[in-house]
Amino acid sequence: DTPLVIGPSRSSAEKRKQSRPRKAEKDEEEQPLQAVLVADSFNRRFFPISKDQPRALLPLANVSMIDYTLEFLTSTGVQETFVFCCWMSSKIKEHLQKSKWCRPTSPNVVHVITSDLYRSLGDVLRDVDAKALVRSDFLLVYGDVVSNIDVSQALQEHKQRRKMEKNVSVMTMIFKESPPGHKTRCEDDDIIVAMDGKSKRILHYQRAQALKKLHFPMNIFHSGSDEFEIRFDLLDCHISICSPQVAELFTDNFDYQTKNDFVRGLLVNEEILGNQIHMHVTKDGYGARVSNLLMYDTVSSDMIRRWIYPITPEANFADQEGQSCTHSRHNVYREPGVSLGHGSQMEENVLIGRNTVIGANCTISNTVIGANCVIGDNVTLDRAYIWNRVHIANDVKVKQSVICDNVEVKHGVVLNEQCVLAYNVVVGPDITLQEGTVLSMHHPDEEDDEDEDEFLSDDDVGYSKDKTKQKGSCSSYLIMCTKQSAHSVQLFQNEVHGTLQRGLDENISCDNLVLEINSLKYAYNISLKEVMQILIRVVLEFPFQQQGAQISTAQYSSHLLPLLKKWAPVFKNYVKRPQDQMDCLASMEEVFLERETHWAALVKVLMSVYQLEILEEEGIMRWFKQSSTTAKSQQLRRNQGLLKFIQWLEEAEESSEGDE
Amino acid sequence: MPGADKETELSERIEAFLSELKRCGSGAGSLRGSAETARETTSLLRRITAQARWSNAGDLMEIIRKEGRRMTAGQPSETTVGNMVRRVLKIIREEYARSRGSTEEADQQESLHKLLTSGGSSEDNFRQHFTHLKANVIEAINELLTELEGTTDNISMQALEHIHSNEVIMTIGRSRTVEAFLKDAARKRKFHVIVAECAPFCQGHEMATSLSKEDIETTVIPDAAIFAVMSRVNKVIIGTQTVLANGGLRAVNGTHTLALAAKHHSTPLIVCAPMFKLSPQWDSALQELVLRSFCFLLPGEILSKVNAHCPVFDYVPPELITLFISNIGGNAPSYIYRLMSELYHPEDHEL
Repeated sequence: DTPLVIGPSRSSAEKRKQSRPRKAEKDEEEQPLQAVLVADSFNRRFFPISKDQPRALLPLANVSMIDYTLEFLTSTGVQETFVFCCWMSSKIKEHLQKSKWCRPTSPNVVHVITSDLYRSLGDVLRDVDAKALVRSDFLLVYGDVVSNIDVSQALQEHKQRRKMEKNVSVMTMIFKESPPGHKTRCEDDDIIVAMDGKSKRILHYQRAQALKKLHFPMNIFHSGSDEFEIRFDLLDCHISICSPQVAELFTDNFDYQTKNDFVRGLLVNEEILGNQIHMHVTKDGYGARVSNLLMYDTVSSDMIRRWIYPITPEANFADQEGQSCTHSRHNVYREPGVSLGHGSQMEENVLIGRNTVIGANCTISNTVIGANCVIGDNVTLDRAYIWNRVHIANDVKVKQSVICDNVEVKHGVVLNEQCVLAYNVVVGPDITLQEGTVLSMHHPDEEDDEDEDEFLSDDDVGYSKDKTKQKGSCSSYLIMCTKQSAHSVQLFQNEVHGTLQRGLDENISCDNLVLEINSLKYAYNISLKEVMQILIRVVLEFPFQQQGAQISTAQYSSHLLPLLKKWAPVFKNYVKRPQDQMDCLASMEEVFLERETHWAALVKVLMSVYQLEILEEEGIMRWFKQSSTTAKSQQLRRNQGLLKFIQWLEEAEESSEGDE
Repeated sequence: MPGADKETELSERIEAFLSELKRCGSGAGSLRGSAETARETTSLLRRITAQARWSNAGDLMEIIRKEGRRMTAGQPSETTVGNMVRRVLKIIREEYARSRGSTEEADQQESLHKLLTSGGSSEDNFRQHFTHLKANVIEAINELLTELEGTTDNISMQALEHIHSNEVIMTIGRSRTVEAFLKDAARKRKFHVIVAECAPFCQGHEMATSLSKEDIETTVIPDAAIFAVMSRVNKVIIGTQTVLANGGLRAVNGTHTLALAAKHHSTPLIVCAPMFKLSPQWDSALQELVLRSFCFLLPGEILSKVNAHCPVFDYVPPELITLFISNIGGNAPSYIYRLMSELYHPEDHEL
């Protein structure tokens, strides 16, 4: 799509050019600092809230998140920013045009580039390379990063490194030192980094993901330096200083989709290509990414308690009319036009938006309230995040919840921890919502039927458990979803079989197999879930295809188990989340239900799959306990071998917990 | 269209100034002293007077008031901006009165007789058009600028009257005015200076280094030692961020401790503050808080229950202050209200 250039008026742009004479040799040093801001997170962690409003425009302490990122970039000296949007790009564009970043006097020139084809960070960077937008080192951030770090020192170090060893260091990642378990560390994002102490080069990078065992390759110990650190006390700020080579590398490697892929790929291919990644650790700055609702809670409260000074609510850095608030003791911020009823207490860490009316005898603490809200009497708000134009009636209790725009909460409602009320919801009188309830106007089935996982992002791994447990909808929608023709599925299945066969014959590595299967997926337009199901089916039926349908159970197992072991990495690539495990087990069940005679083999299959760490105990237990609908599957569950296996699993679980 | 160009240029400059203010005040950009801020504000106001479109004094005052409100909202803790705006408004009133006729001079002072006889504010007084008003106002603003440039020198000239040989002087943190004051006295007298370091930013260290370069004997002490050392001190000389309307101070944190210790030992407390720091505000709940990440390394559970406060400014009540030294001479704190009425018009106290 054509980029919309929102820059300064011609006269001042010319003045700026005249005031910066560029000599040919000093071209590198005179380049203005550029930044690439990815205003889309390519995942659905904020659904259903982000169905109505893109994540970058959600308010954090009454200011849109993208404003924080732009303020961070501007105050660190960036002069040209490219904002890439995909989901709801028109809203983001409109917001930026009205904001102070697009005024002629803004020191940071903001260009908004939109396209519906972006599916991941990789696509964005490939577009950056294709359009040749960046001329030298640039900052790469997401639209939901909140930070006050001054990257000029890290930038200096990066430039120095690139000058010393010609263009070997490709990227510098910025981390913040913070102890494990600190609440600003996102659990999904926990990383373990092995680094060279002197040169700050990253030797090994891995997601922690609550794993109990970690493997480090031996080559990191031969890095050629004697100072070597393995660190678990780092918080990823999601701010990186990249060289133009980064965009080129993404174009060369079409399967790099996320930053994680890129870093792992680079570290693995280091001997061949010689590219290195370095890091910069900041102790005093603050940098965090609002990647899920827990982080939203944490970063909001850090903002109110002034950990991100000088970005504070009363600084009104976004220069919005009528949004300047006064700061009083105990971190109580009030914007103009707030009226408080008699006996109401704002205890501590409260931000109240303009023209909000609060009734009598309310107790408010650790909350953020948006503009034009009406709150009744006797309301208790604790760690609540209330957005604009919300009506809350009397006698309501809200604990650690998010209430979006235009919601009406009638009297007597109690919202327990971690509830979310999405846009335009009305919650009736005298209802108590359990922990973790999400209420939205959008039908919950809508999202499940859409093509899942077309968006690829790092956050899909390690889905945190305290998200939605219940979903309710306030109005019903009829969704027509297009089912793919069975024909292409069959073709796909045959192709996968052919691929695996060739893999066996020609001894192709698992990564290449994954590549082939991915390309087939795109060719036949199959969803990721179906790919996995078909893969399981093909593998399980492989021995039958090879040796005929009449082989005995023992022969079947002896043929299948080595295949499973060989192709374990392929499975692990597709089976990542607990939902994937359930799907995998469901399709295994399907295959075995068709072949009653071979149920004994199911146990062996499950055992080997468990030992290869493709499936986890919890997944298998949950599948087993699922109440089955057909008589046959009930019978399957009563199979002796299977019962023994489940029993062994339970004991293994207990013993492993006992060890800890 | 030269007019339109000028206007956009003017608004660009105002925007640039505003963003500079915000950035500097928050410590992200380069730190600026209040003298520099005052100078830049005044030159910006002069530019507005020269380039904006106005036909009579009332219009001009409206424009300046509007811009003044924006500038003070941008960085509320930087009071010199508001002070300069009020000075310029006062200049405009004076020039207008002079253009109309010199009998109006006494009119500016509030008096009971005037309140009784005038009845109602004289709003439409400022609607008359005078051709030379613009030139007069700009000239007066230029005079103000020259005055601003000379403030530090004027204050330092008084140093020899107050500092005697072999005295022990105490100060806190870093103030450019006090630094110049002490350096001027050091040319002729020999004395000893004790600097309280003023944690957590420890600006006192820089002050001590700079003083010792001029061969002044300097000692740095931590804030906790102020009371202990006070018995050996002859005078306390400090700078301040703002002088409030009641004669109190808004100064760097630690100053209240210093003032109380000085009062206890009956040590004179001398405040060196140029006149542009005098503000018609009273001590409001405005407390600028900074929160550094000292405690970030605590385990997460504890951190969510801990509130760490790190104030930047202190309020010092006027009873603790002995003398104000400004560019127009030495004054008692009880006289500040008179000085203020000479500098600002009562109607401009609220912009």
